[in-house]
Amino acid sequence: MKASADPVVVVTGAASGIGAATAALFAERGWRTAGLDLRPSATDMPFTCDVTDANAVGSAIDAVVERLGGIDAAVTAAGYYEEGIDVCDITKAQWDSMLNVILGGTVNICAAVLPHMIGKDRGTIVAISSELALGGSATDLHYVAAKGAVLGLIKSLAAEFAATPIRVNAVAPGPTDTPLLVGDSIWREPEYLVTLPLGRLVTPGEIAATVYYLATEGQLYCGEVLSPNAGAVI
Amino acid sequence: MAEAATAPGGGQPRVALVTGAAQGLGHATALRLAADGFAVAVNDISDDGRLTALAGQTGGLAVPGDIADPETVTAIAGAVAERFGGVDVLVANAAAMEMGPFLTQDPAIWWRQIEVNLSGHFRLVQAVVPQMRARRSGRIVLIASGWGVIGYPNATAYAASKAGLIALAKGLGRELAPQGILTNAIAPSYIDTEQLGVDAADAGISLEQMRQRYRELIPTGQLATVEDVAAAVAFLASPGASAFVGQVLQPGGGVTRTRA
Repeated sequence: MKASADPVVVVTGAASGIGAATAALFAERGWRTAGLDLRPSATDMPFTCDVTDANAVGSAIDAVVERLGGIDAAVTAAGYYEEGIDVCDITKAQWDSMLNVILGGTVNICAAVLPHMIGKDRGTIVAISSELALGGSATDLHYVAAKGAVLGLIKSLAAEFAATPIRVNAVAPGPTDTPLLVGDSIWREPEYLVTLPLGRLVTPGEIAATVYYLATEGQLYCGEVLSPNAGAVI
Repeated sequence: MAEAATAPGGGQPRVALVTGAAQGLGHATALRLAADGFAVAVNDISDDGRLTALAGQTGGLAVPGDIADPETVTAIAGAVAERFGGVDVLVANAAAMEMGPFLTQDPAIWWRQIEVNLSGHFRLVQAVVPQMRARRSGRIVLIASGWGVIGYPNATAYAASKAGLIALAKGLGRELAPQGILTNAIAPSYIDTEQLGVDAADAGISLEQMRQRYRELIPTGQLATVEDVAAAVAFLASPGASAFVGQVLQPGGGVTRTRA
């Protein structure tokens, strides 16, 4: 365990993709890290935990505060993706599950960490949304709706806490090269990539760098959405 | 978190050019980029000694001159190219601002703001892009304004020029990204700079009254420092921002909240 003066970040979805890259970058820069994921994460305090379970999230956050002394930043990267489903074919179960994980999971983390941030001289929440929430998309409507709802949540929380040192913002990545994009994903097809001004997928490290900037030098951002998206949405 | 600003495979420092660097945000940006390892060439409309002094601190070059004049722009870009071989990061920060009612403001004053803020930087982009293209690498950071996003009464020229810069960032972002050149904008809102004194004089109130009037417009209730906004420039110039294209960062304490 690192020195107790080092800041603490909690990352959901920390076992893979954007969450893993984010936890790794913060650790590299001297932060102490806690990870919540369905699978164990390479963090200082890995919790095997479902973000839709408010009690489990609350217990994990309490344990982090108990052991590390507080939480300076929370990053909500837990999520999953489904594509190639016509709007009329999205089942109620698919819709509910997507909203539970992406919106509900973000709500659960915010509700658990905010009480520990109130009254401190800093505290920041960065929610991972999606460029698809800005520009819309076809055949993954439940995912887009959930990611869009996260933006509404984040902007409202930002306004609610604006008069305090707590900052709440979102990062809306473009199509990112993570395990969530299956091998035959439409977002990996050369015909799609050529439409991007950068002509390539975004890397998890590029998202992590954006999150780190918001957490360390982003005091002026209040309800903003930063979108490193390779030019997918301009 | 200064990341080494050296060119891939070489020990030469990367080079930044910052306009409007004699004071305020441009000055702070030049110092921040120098701290991050850039050699920083600095421009302002004239040099009363501050620009040369700053260039001494930033390992750069003072290139004074009015960017509204096309020949001056050519000379500025030429001087930087001769000394450093080109520009890796252009920070378009210089701005003219004079408030006045739209229908009665002197058209010369109205158009002067467009000429400096928008057209001057358009020509400066034209002057530095060929070198960036040759290296298939470059960053362009256009300093826009929250007023370019949401408008402001009696600031139509300034807001139009800054909204033009936002559109320029989006268009250049699309046009130049395939060539390895990333263009983005920053739209700050109320910054505690020398300009507040000018605004206070225009409004006929004290500086502290002006600060308070602006604070009341900001959800977080905090005026930005120049260092806060310079950090946003440094981020967009850093290796980690390599997926930002045509975006508008709005570090304004919630004044604009993504209305770009």
